[in-house]
Amino acid sequence: MRIKQRFGLILILATLLVMFATVFILFEYQRDNRERLARAQGLDLARLLGSMAWHELIPRHGGRGFLDVLARGHGNPDFAYGALVDLDGTIANEAVRPGVIVPPKPISGEPSGWLGQRVLEFGDGGRLARRYIESHAPVFEAGKHRGFVRLGYFEPSLAFSLSEMPFFASLMLPIFLLAPFFYFLLHQQFKPLREFSERFDDLVDSSGVGSVELQPSRELSDFMDQFSSYVEATQLRLQALDREHQDLQMSSKLLVYRNNRIDAILQNFPDAIVVIDEAGEVSYANSKIERLLAVTHDEILGKKPRDWCRDPNLVPLLTFGDVKSGLQSNEDTLEYRLDEGTVKTLQFCVYPLFVPNDDTRILGRLVVIRDVSESHLLRQRQNEFISHVSHELKTPLNVLSMYSESLLREGADDEAYRIEAVNVIHDEVERLSTLINNLLAINQYELGGVVAQRKHVRMHEFLEDAFENVIKSRGDNGLEFELDIPREMSMVYIDKDLFRIAVNNLLTNAIKYNKPGGKVAMTASEDDDSIEITVSDEGYGIAEADQKQIFNKFFRSTDDNIRQQTGHGLGLSLARQIVQMHHGDLTCQSELGEGSRFTIRLEKVSTQIMDAAAS
Amino acid sequence: MKKILIADDEPHVLRVMKMSLENEGFAVETCANGMEALACIEREHPDILITDIQMPQMTGEKLCRHIQEYIPERGFLIFVLTSRTEIEHREWSRQIDNLQFLEKPVSIRNLIERLDAYFAGATGGESAA
Repeated sequence: MRIKQRFGLILILATLLVMFATVFILFEYQRDNRERLARAQGLDLARLLGSMAWHELIPRHGGRGFLDVLARGHGNPDFAYGALVDLDGTIANEAVRPGVIVPPKPISGEPSGWLGQRVLEFGDGGRLARRYIESHAPVFEAGKHRGFVRLGYFEPSLAFSLSEMPFFASLMLPIFLLAPFFYFLLHQQFKPLREFSERFDDLVDSSGVGSVELQPSRELSDFMDQFSSYVEATQLRLQALDREHQDLQMSSKLLVYRNNRIDAILQNFPDAIVVIDEAGEVSYANSKIERLLAVTHDEILGKKPRDWCRDPNLVPLLTFGDVKSGLQSNEDTLEYRLDEGTVKTLQFCVYPLFVPNDDTRILGRLVVIRDVSESHLLRQRQNEFISHVSHELKTPLNVLSMYSESLLREGADDEAYRIEAVNVIHDEVERLSTLINNLLAINQYELGGVVAQRKHVRMHEFLEDAFENVIKSRGDNGLEFELDIPREMSMVYIDKDLFRIAVNNLLTNAIKYNKPGGKVAMTASEDDDSIEITVSDEGYGIAEADQKQIFNKFFRSTDDNIRQQTGHGLGLSLARQIVQMHHGDLTCQSELGEGSRFTIRLEKVSTQIMDAAAS
Repeated sequence: MKKILIADDEPHVLRVMKMSLENEGFAVETCANGMEALACIEREHPDILITDIQMPQMTGEKLCRHIQEYIPERGFLIFVLTSRTEIEHREWSRQIDNLQFLEKPVSIRNLIERLDAYFAGATGGESAA
């Protein structure tokens, strides 16, 4: 804006510059002309005078010589001096302008230098040195070289002369007059453009919407009309683009939000998800893939399953080699080995991803991978449990069936056999009944239907009774039994029947899984805070890996020695649940080949152990 | 007289089966687990082996596998007593020649009929498995 406002000042300065330039060029032109004239005229005159005889150039006594006439008559204001000098430089005659001294500069004696021109600089006393353009020519007398004629002119300079003032003034005047005129004219012509520019600046600054109304001059009218309509159209277009941009931004934000939301949903999906495109390459995978297949998202993205799949059995499932039509869902479950020690049971569900509105073309396939190891294991254990229960139930049934049939067939007449058979049948019915009751109790406990019926129990008597009952029921099995319980123990507040099941299970296991002739020991100890009951054996022991699982329901060790014994994998699970119901803890210490040691720890406070004296 | 060897850890079963089969004219030997059964086979060379599956020290399955591997020339039939004809038993039992299942509870009459049929040279195998 400031530059525009000072346009007039700039114009004036430019005008002055033009004026000075004009004057300078004129001066330069004049100076060149004068120099050229001095050189041409000087050389011509010198040559002309040189053609005359020496004595003709010497003025007669009392008269005026040629030089004098020349100086006064030829009218060149730059003429400085004319001199006739002999060979040794002595001036024989001269005609000079007032105040000028002929420079005492000898001319070369060589014939080639006789005729010529030179520039001399010569100061006269205290005055400044002046420069002269001197032309010289040889002068002869009767064919003999007698001397030289020298004609000097002032070298023209750029000095301003007052005499030329009127000329310059008349030259400057129109320039001075034209400058304001042009300024006014331009000012008027550019006025609409300036207004337009100001409006345009306002538009740019405010980013507002509005039309550009102008009052153009005649010359710019059409242009401005067109330009104005163009600007209006551009503004409308800009507004439309701005709206589109805003819409796009909004859509983009919405898309990003939706994308993030879908990604979050897929990432938080409990199963691993893999999307495989038509080329058979992985185009998406959520983070669960790392846990299930032990491969990272980056390792599989953009790659085909055969390039990253560790289990060759899995490749056909992911490459859909066994889905002939390609349009059907497929489901399979297989064991997947993550590393040397870990095997997972994974369920693979493959679904085709159809092109929208076209069920005949697929974009790729969605693979949902689910870890079914636990349910698979649970199912396995349940099958084992059912198998064991079935065996346990059918064994007494078998005995019942055989005895009853034998009574019918041949034993009815034998009194001793009949009595034996009836006793056996009675015992087996009891055994069957107990087994069924236990199964029902376990089932009821699992359903949460068991409520502890706590009573004050003397621990010493309780443990002693439980120990002896188990020994009796198991008969003579060649084992050594040891009971070490303090005579005086606190009373405890427990469900006697439930707690007996827990202790019985520990003792039964110690007998079942003991080595021949091994020892079964039950000890108890008490301190201020707790009571500890320990059941130990000298049997097969429990492998470290199995120790973590022995309290799990239905778990049975794969050890052959253990498998040879009947069992249903519920004893320890039930024992721990009963102990925990009494706010205690059941732990196991074991070493293969050395035996096992199970410890029940009951907190006195939490189990409301009451001191015998207090009760 | 045909010799029958019975392996079961349940003494009542051994007792009643022994009595019933002896009454039918068979010579019966009993043992309480697979290890004893192997010794008895070496000693008595039975014509029939009746064994339970779940037994201590050596299970019925191990006993059968052992017999299949180490006594391939044996000519006797094996009856396996089982609570159910589970898939797991079917799998290993396919590898044992001349084996039939007897599902618990066992009918003595049915057992005797199958023994008679077997010794009479009839093919009674299909009805049991």
